[in-house]
Amino acid sequence: MTTPPTCDCPEPDARTRGGLSRRAFLRASTAVGALAALSGPLMSTRLAFATAGLPYTGDVLVVISLRGGFDGLSAIVPAGDPAYYAARPNIAVPAAQLLDRGTMFGLHPALAPLLPYWRAGTFGAVHAVGQTDATRSHFSSLEEMERAAPGTSLRTGWLDRTLGVRGGGSTFQAAVLGSTMISQSLSGPTREIAMVDIDSFRLDGDPTINARRAQALQTVYAAAPTNMAAPASTALGALTTTAAIKAGGNVTGNGAVYPTTPLAKALREVSRLIKASAGLQIACVDYDDWDMHIGLGKPAAGGAMNDHLATLAGAMAAFAQDLGSLMSRVTVVTLSEFGRRLAENGSGGTDHGHGNAVLLLGGGVVGGKVHGPWPGLAPAALDSGDLRGQTDYRDVLGEVLQKRCRIDSLSTVFPGFAAAPLGVVRQRP
Amino acid sequence: MTRRRVLGVAATGVAAAAALPVLGAFPASAAATTQGSYLNGDPLLHLLRRTTYGTTPALIAEARSLGAAAWLNQQLAPSLINDSTCDGVVARFPNLTSSISQVRADYPAGSWQVMFDLGRATLTRAAWSKRQLFEVMVDFWSNHLNITCPSSDVWESRHRFDADVIRPHALGRFSNMLVASSLHPAMLRYLNNNVSRKESPNENFGRELLELHSVGVDGGYSEADVRTSALVMTGCTVDAATGAFLYSPDWHYTGPVSLLGWSADNATGEAGLSVVLSYLRYLAAHPSTARHIATKLATRFVSDQPSAALIQSLANVYLRNGTLIVPVLRALFASAEFQASVGSKVRRPYEDIIATVRTLGIAPDVTGTPGIEGLYWIASSAGQAPLAWHVVDGYPDVAEAWQSASGVLRRWNAHMQLAAPWWPPTLVRLPPRQLLPALLPATWGGVVDALATRLLGQTLSAADNAVALTFIQKAATDTVVASDSWLGWQLPYLVGFILDLPYHGLR
Repeated sequence: MTTPPTCDCPEPDARTRGGLSRRAFLRASTAVGALAALSGPLMSTRLAFATAGLPYTGDVLVVISLRGGFDGLSAIVPAGDPAYYAARPNIAVPAAQLLDRGTMFGLHPALAPLLPYWRAGTFGAVHAVGQTDATRSHFSSLEEMERAAPGTSLRTGWLDRTLGVRGGGSTFQAAVLGSTMISQSLSGPTREIAMVDIDSFRLDGDPTINARRAQALQTVYAAAPTNMAAPASTALGALTTTAAIKAGGNVTGNGAVYPTTPLAKALREVSRLIKASAGLQIACVDYDDWDMHIGLGKPAAGGAMNDHLATLAGAMAAFAQDLGSLMSRVTVVTLSEFGRRLAENGSGGTDHGHGNAVLLLGGGVVGGKVHGPWPGLAPAALDSGDLRGQTDYRDVLGEVLQKRCRIDSLSTVFPGFAAAPLGVVRQRP
Repeated sequence: MTRRRVLGVAATGVAAAAALPVLGAFPASAAATTQGSYLNGDPLLHLLRRTTYGTTPALIAEARSLGAAAWLNQQLAPSLINDSTCDGVVARFPNLTSSISQVRADYPAGSWQVMFDLGRATLTRAAWSKRQLFEVMVDFWSNHLNITCPSSDVWESRHRFDADVIRPHALGRFSNMLVASSLHPAMLRYLNNNVSRKESPNENFGRELLELHSVGVDGGYSEADVRTSALVMTGCTVDAATGAFLYSPDWHYTGPVSLLGWSADNATGEAGLSVVLSYLRYLAAHPSTARHIATKLATRFVSDQPSAALIQSLANVYLRNGTLIVPVLRALFASAEFQASVGSKVRRPYEDIIATVRTLGIAPDVTGTPGIEGLYWIASSAGQAPLAWHVVDGYPDVAEAWQSASGVLRRWNAHMQLAAPWWPPTLVRLPPRQLLPALLPATWGGVVDALATRLLGQTLSAADNAVALTFIQKAATDTVVASDSWLGWQLPYLVGFILDLPYHGLR
C-alpha cells in the first residue's frame, strides 16, 4: 500500500499529531477518571473520522481468505449428484449426516454453528464458482484471484481499487487482522492497516518519552519513500484510536463466546473495530491450511476437513452473534484460490481442482440456499476432472459491491468484466 | 509524495492537541528522500549490509583491513573461517545432531522440540556466526526449498534437511542440492510424495518441484507436465519403519515419460531411481531454472526489481558453471547493478531484529538458551520467525509484502526491548553508556553523531539529526554534562530512536 493519490483531507497542524494525542489520552485516563478516559478519546476518534470525507454508509465487507484450496465439495455437499459419492468412496460425507439436505445440496455437519443463520436466511452459499484462468498453482491462482483483472497489466488488488473508487476514508478504512502481512487484494495506492490485534498495538515504554518519540518518528518518516513512510505513518497515526478502543473494553455482544482459534480472535478484532465506529469499510482475515492432499478425514471430530470447517463456522457464528443487529451492515464472504479435484486421490485427500463454493454471511445475504447454476459432476461436465467454474467469482463479489457496498460501477474494480448478479444479496436501502 | 500527504494518512486524535507539551518545534524534514540517499555510499559498507545480517564495529574494522575482495573471498570459503565460539552456542541444542531414529527414540510420542531447536539454532548462527554470507545463503535456500518449521509431518526430520541438504550445498552445486532435497524424507513428507504411487499419484511435490524448486511458474510447463512430473517421482517415498528415504520400485510408474525437452523410456520399476535422478539433474540445469534462481538471487541481493539484463547474465554464469552457486554470487557482487543498488533493499522483520542484536553488541546467554528463545519469540511476533513461513513458497523478499503497521511497531518495540535492556534478560549486553566513546563528545550534536556512527556506521542527515536533537530537547551546540539523564536512564530511548529510523531499516 501507499499513500492516497487524491485524498487531501483537512488536517490540523502537523505538530499536534502522532503520539502526543496518545499522551493526552493516557493523562486523561489517569487524572480524570474512567468516564473521561472512555468518552474523550472515542469522541476524538469519531471526530477524526468525520473529517476524512463523506461517511461511508455501505456494508463492512469482511473477506475471509481460505488459502490453500478450500474443498467446497466437502462443505456444501452435492449429495444429489451420484458422481460425488462414486468419486469419493472414502471421504464423501454420508447423506444421512448432512444438515438441511435438499434435492441436491446439504451442509457438512461441522457447519452446525451456522445452521441457525442458514435457516434465518442470513447465511448462504454459491457453488461452482471459479476464475477465468484456471491455473492449479496456489500462488498464481491466489495472485490472479486477488488482482482480479485477468488480461490486463494492472498490478493492484480488487479491494484496493474498491477503496480507490470510493475515495476518502480513515486510517482504519481497510484492515488486515490477525497478521503482519498485507493481502495482495489490498495491494495498491490506497491505504490499509495490518494489525495482529488491537491490544498489542502500542509503543512499549515511558508514555511521555514515547509521545515525543512518536512525533519525532512521524517527522522523519514523513519525508521517507512511500515503502517505508506508509506503514510507519499508519502505525503512528493509529495509536490513539487503538488506545481508545482498548479503553472501551472488550465485552462481546449478546453473550457471544468466541472460540480460542486465531481465526475467531481475528474476527473478534474486526468486530471491535466495527463497534467502535473506527471507519472500517473492508476487513481481511486469513484462515489457511486447506491444502489437504492427504487425509481429508471423516465428518467427525479429528477429521481434518471436519475440524477446519468447525473452526470456520464457530468463528463466523460467534462474530455474527457478537455483532447482532449490526450484522445488517456487514457482509462476510469466503474466498479460496481454487477448489479440489472431484475424485479423491490415493491418500484419502484431494489434489488441486477448480470450481468451488463461496460462503456468505450477513444481514443482506439471501441465505438458506445455494446460488448459481450447477454444472453437474458427470464426466462430460467436468473440467479436467474438476468441478467446472460455472460462475465467475467476480459475479458474486460484483453483486455484493454494487448492492451492499456503494459501488455503482464495477469498471474500475473489475475492468472489462460485465458482472451478472445471481441474487445472492438484497439491495441495501 | 509530500509530507502533508503522509501526515494525512495518520489522521487521528484531534482533541488531544491541547495537551501538547512545551518543546522545540520539530523541524520539517527535507522533501522526499530516496531509500538510497539515507545510506552512506561506501561500497564496503554496502557489501557488508547485503552479505551479512548486519554490521558490527568489529566486522567493519576487519573488512576494512582485509579489503572488500579478500573479505568476500573469505566469506565464500566458510569452512576455513574459525567459528568455534558460535558452534559452542549451537551445541546447546544437542538434538540437532540426532539422526531420525535417535529423535524417534528420544521422543516416542512425537514432539516439536527438535524443530524449535532448529529455528533457534538458525537464529543463533544468523546473529553470531562469523560465516555471515553462508548463513544468509542458508536462509535463502531454506526459503527456496521451504519446509515450514515447525510443521507436524517433519517433526523428526526437519533438522536433518537443514544439516544434510541445505548446509552441505548452500555454496555448492544447485544440481546436487535439488537431488538431495527431492530424495529427502522431510521434503517427501512435506509435499506428500511419500504417498504418491503409480496407480494414485499425488501431484503436490511434482508440481512444486517445477513451480517453486526449479523452472518456475513461467518455466513453460503444462498441467499435463505436472502430472508427468508426479508420475516420474512415484516410488520416492519414506520408510515408515525408520523414517528414512526409500525407493519403492513397485510404486514407480513405468512407461515412456517426457516433459520440457527431457524424456526417458522408464521401462522398469527397478531402473526408476536412475530416471528420477536424470529428471532432477535435467531440471536443475534447465535455462528456465537458471533464470528462476538468478531472479531470486538478484532480488535477495540487489533490488526488488532487478533488470532483465542482470538476470540473464547471472543465468548464463549459472549454466556455464554447471549450476555452481559461488560463480553466480561473484558475478552478482561484481555487477554494476549491485554496486549502484545502495539502500534499495528493505530489511524484513527478522533481519531488522538480528541486525539490532549485532549492532548493539549483544551476546548469547552465558549458559543455556532462554535469551535465544526470547529472540526467536520476538522475531515470531514481528511476523518472521526463521524457517517458519507457513506455506510452500518461502518468505517473500520484497518490501511491498512487509508493509504492516503492527510489524513496524513490533520492530520499534524490539529495538527498545533490546536496547533498554528490558528483555530477554539473560542475553549479555553492554551497558548502553558503552555505546558512546569513553571520552564523551563536548556537545549534544556530537553525541548524536557518535551514537549514530556506532549503531549505523554513519551519521544521520542534517534534517534527521535535528529531529533527534529536538526529541531529546537539546541544541546541537549544548554542552554535554555527564550526569544528564539522556546519558543515563533515557539513553536507551535515543538508541532505540536511532534504530527506528529508516537507515537501520535498509540493507
